[in-house]
Amino acid sequence: MIQSILLWLAAILAAPFFSGLILKIKAFFGGKKGPPILINYYTLIKLFKKGSVYSNSTTFMFKLGPVISLAASVTALMFLPIAGYDPVFSFNGDVIFVLYALGLGRFFTIAAAMDTASPFEGMGAAREAYFPIICEAAMFMILIFFYRITGELQLSAYFAGSNTQSMWSSAGAPLLFIVISFFIILLTENSRVPVDDPATHLELTMIHEVMVLDHSGPDFALIELGSFCKLIFYSTIISRMILPFESAIFGFPIVMYIAGLLVVYVAVGVTESVTARYRMDKVPQFVLTSFALAFFATIITLEFVK
Amino acid sequence: MCQFFSSTFIILLGGFLSLVFARQKKFSKVIAVLFLSGGCLLGLLDAAAKLLNPAGASASFRYLDLFFLSFHVDGLSAFFLTAIFAVSLMAAIYSFHYMENEEGGIKTGVNYFFFSVLIASMALVVTAANILSFMISWEMMSLSSFFLVIYSHESAENRKAGYLYFVFTHVGAMFVLAAFGLIYGHTGSFEFAPMAGVPEAVKILIFVLSFIGFGSKAGVFPFHVWLPHAHPAAPSHISAVMSGVMIKTGIYGILRIYAILDFHTPVFGYITLIAGVISGILGVVYALGQHDIKRLLAYHSVENIGIILIGLGIGMIGAATGNPLVAVLGFAGGILHVLNHSVFKSLLFMGAGMVLHQTGTRSIDALGGLLKGMKITGTTFIIGSLAICGLPPFNGFVSEFFIYMGSFKAIPVGSISFAMSVFAIISLAVIGGLALACFTKVVGVVFQGEPRTKAAENVKENGLAMMVPMGCLAAACVIIGVFPKVFIDMALTAVQALGLDYGRVPVEPFGQITGNITFAALLFFVVVLIVMGIRSIYYKNKTTTKSGTWGCGFTQPTVKMQYTGSSYAGSILEFFSAAAPLSEEHPPIKGRFPLKTHYHSHVNDIAELHMKNVVVRPVFYLFDKLRWMQHGDIHLYIGYILLAIVLLLFFI
Repeated sequence: MIQSILLWLAAILAAPFFSGLILKIKAFFGGKKGPPILINYYTLIKLFKKGSVYSNSTTFMFKLGPVISLAASVTALMFLPIAGYDPVFSFNGDVIFVLYALGLGRFFTIAAAMDTASPFEGMGAAREAYFPIICEAAMFMILIFFYRITGELQLSAYFAGSNTQSMWSSAGAPLLFIVISFFIILLTENSRVPVDDPATHLELTMIHEVMVLDHSGPDFALIELGSFCKLIFYSTIISRMILPFESAIFGFPIVMYIAGLLVVYVAVGVTESVTARYRMDKVPQFVLTSFALAFFATIITLEFVK
Repeated sequence: MCQFFSSTFIILLGGFLSLVFARQKKFSKVIAVLFLSGGCLLGLLDAAAKLLNPAGASASFRYLDLFFLSFHVDGLSAFFLTAIFAVSLMAAIYSFHYMENEEGGIKTGVNYFFFSVLIASMALVVTAANILSFMISWEMMSLSSFFLVIYSHESAENRKAGYLYFVFTHVGAMFVLAAFGLIYGHTGSFEFAPMAGVPEAVKILIFVLSFIGFGSKAGVFPFHVWLPHAHPAAPSHISAVMSGVMIKTGIYGILRIYAILDFHTPVFGYITLIAGVISGILGVVYALGQHDIKRLLAYHSVENIGIILIGLGIGMIGAATGNPLVAVLGFAGGILHVLNHSVFKSLLFMGAGMVLHQTGTRSIDALGGLLKGMKITGTTFIIGSLAICGLPPFNGFVSEFFIYMGSFKAIPVGSISFAMSVFAIISLAVIGGLALACFTKVVGVVFQGEPRTKAAENVKENGLAMMVPMGCLAAACVIIGVFPKVFIDMALTAVQALGLDYGRVPVEPFGQITGNITFAALLFFVVVLIVMGIRSIYYKNKTTTKSGTWGCGFTQPTVKMQYTGSSYAGSILEFFSAAAPLSEEHPPIKGRFPLKTHYHSHVNDIAELHMKNVVVRPVFYLFDKLRWMQHGDIHLYIGYILLAIVLLLFFI
């Protein structure tokens, strides 16, 4: 338990570092030096020191948005096995709760954006409401896949201990599809290129960044921390799926976990450097790819796993 | 049983007295509200007591010296009674201030009279123990709600809505009657008792007929066409009752027929589940395209009926394949969703009613920024929205969680049930996402941002009698969401009444599930409190300033530039354009000094669109050919009657 809580805290604390890594990768591809690797910590500290400016249009929902979205992300992390260790909490069906808790976070992020009466934020909110619908379908398809293999509905049954390894041995080929499918979901849910471009200077073309335009100070810091946590939540899952190795050597799982995370974050950074953002109406097709992959994987398991 | 009848009697008496004293408007209203709420409270206590300590009760009366009218309360009836009386109680209190603007005391009196008949007949429908008492109560319910729908009969639109409802409810009743006719024909008894010795094909036919009949009352796609017309037409407290509980009597009918058929075939499950999936997804897609807040909520009823049917379908599949856990999870989830939907949907209709009452408009795109002046309405509406999206820690999540669990557990059962489970799970996920989009639209456009028109400026809320029920219902959303144990036990009692021949339903595993939900909800609250604590620490002694919204460099923003509900939903609707074709009217801008232009969009409901060509036109054509029979000659009419009697004599 203590170990799990420590890992959970470590994941939250390390999340900004890994997100900073993406910036470094992008800078490398752009031939630039890039910001310091700890840039996100500096930004968070700076934001927490500041006060806030609130729009006259806003209500309590605007202040509730950052709180709920961060709370949803860190609650989700509590149920996720980190580096293969048991999660802080776990129960039968927790994965449904986690997905819906993230949905709750999304509701409040959108509501906070709509609170400002800004047309740009409304536009971002509409997209934030749209794309995750398909993501959610893909997520549940993946869940069906996991359920077919393990017969369980909890995250620890998929990613703790040797469970991931036994999934590979019973349905390795389809699991490859799942990894790719999940990577697409990661890109979509965390507003990365090619779905969203966090670095663009045009508010019109952004999704997540435009929704938080009006937040400032500690509120904005909570939002940033929340999105770092969300990204590490998805990355942890992929990290475990690609490097599920177990060994008795002390610290081995942690090393594997960090190596996996590095792979995922570097992949995100490389994707962001070499591809352009899709036109908004092409995004659904991209996200549907992940659903199709997960669907095929599940169909294949019909033969593999009786 | 005595308490039940006295509560129905008090309700009916209240309606009658209100009609008698209709000229003294204030007095008649006070009497009506007192009697109605008193009767509902009595009935609610009785029903809840029966659910917590399961005990059946029956009563039977002789009618016309020929038939018996018998009534029976079992777990299933008691569960529906709880929902009916709870929502009616809230609606009765709400109506006290909602009806204050209405002129004419007579009209108010008539409204209360039919309202009381509606509550009483709903209660009688779910307790009826034979075909006759069921049909009589069913017709009373349909007629009283018809009169409530045409309450504002001055508007042609409302009269049309009433007409549509009248036609649908009676065609539906014909199907139900046909199913009952088959039952009577094979058993020779009017009683609702498990049937034995009836051929399986007949049982399937009975199920299909009654599914269509009850489905048209419940608002199952494609028999839902009346629903988005009738619900907005009625006064808001009536919409709350109709959408919250009246359409659920259709669900009750399906369950009751399922119980008396006593035939567990997966076919019933497939029918129910597929109907549920289609209603669920299309209901929410159409809801997303609406501009009228009450119509939008009405379409959400179609969606939630879909979710309920998915649950019941999973339950039926579980029962047919001998999988008690799947069966009970599915049925309990579906039945609990009946209660949950009645709570949050009536809450949402009451919120919409408050908005309508204070601003005079139902158009979403004309509103905005109401949360600032309407704290209680806004907050309770947001809670209702979260609940209807199925988000934790609110009640919608609990029932959806059960349905999810049931669907997942049905995966390994067999190949068809695997396909059905996948179908159910994916559509539940999609419905959840779409509902979230839809309610962020409503909350964002109606309650947040800035007022878009004059009507929405400086709106305040008033009327304690309207706010108290909203508060109570919002509290119920949270309580069921955090502590679902009691309510799941109630749903399990209702499931037991279905006679699934497993004997007693094991309560153990369900206690564990509800325990987990409670734990997760409380955990989430703790995390939120901690984050709030951290936030307040960082805001201590800090200056926060107020300013305009950042316009991205644009210095002259107007409220008209805000994103509207139509544009918010636009891209999602485009994705579903095959099922929800959008018709737009937008004269192009011409010339150097263009004149004013306008934009109007309307999402077409394919059921409504095709009903005209597929059903209405052929029926008209056919009856046009029979017009010669209607000649106006009374002698020949008497001849028809004679001929009919003589012909019938051959068959008896």
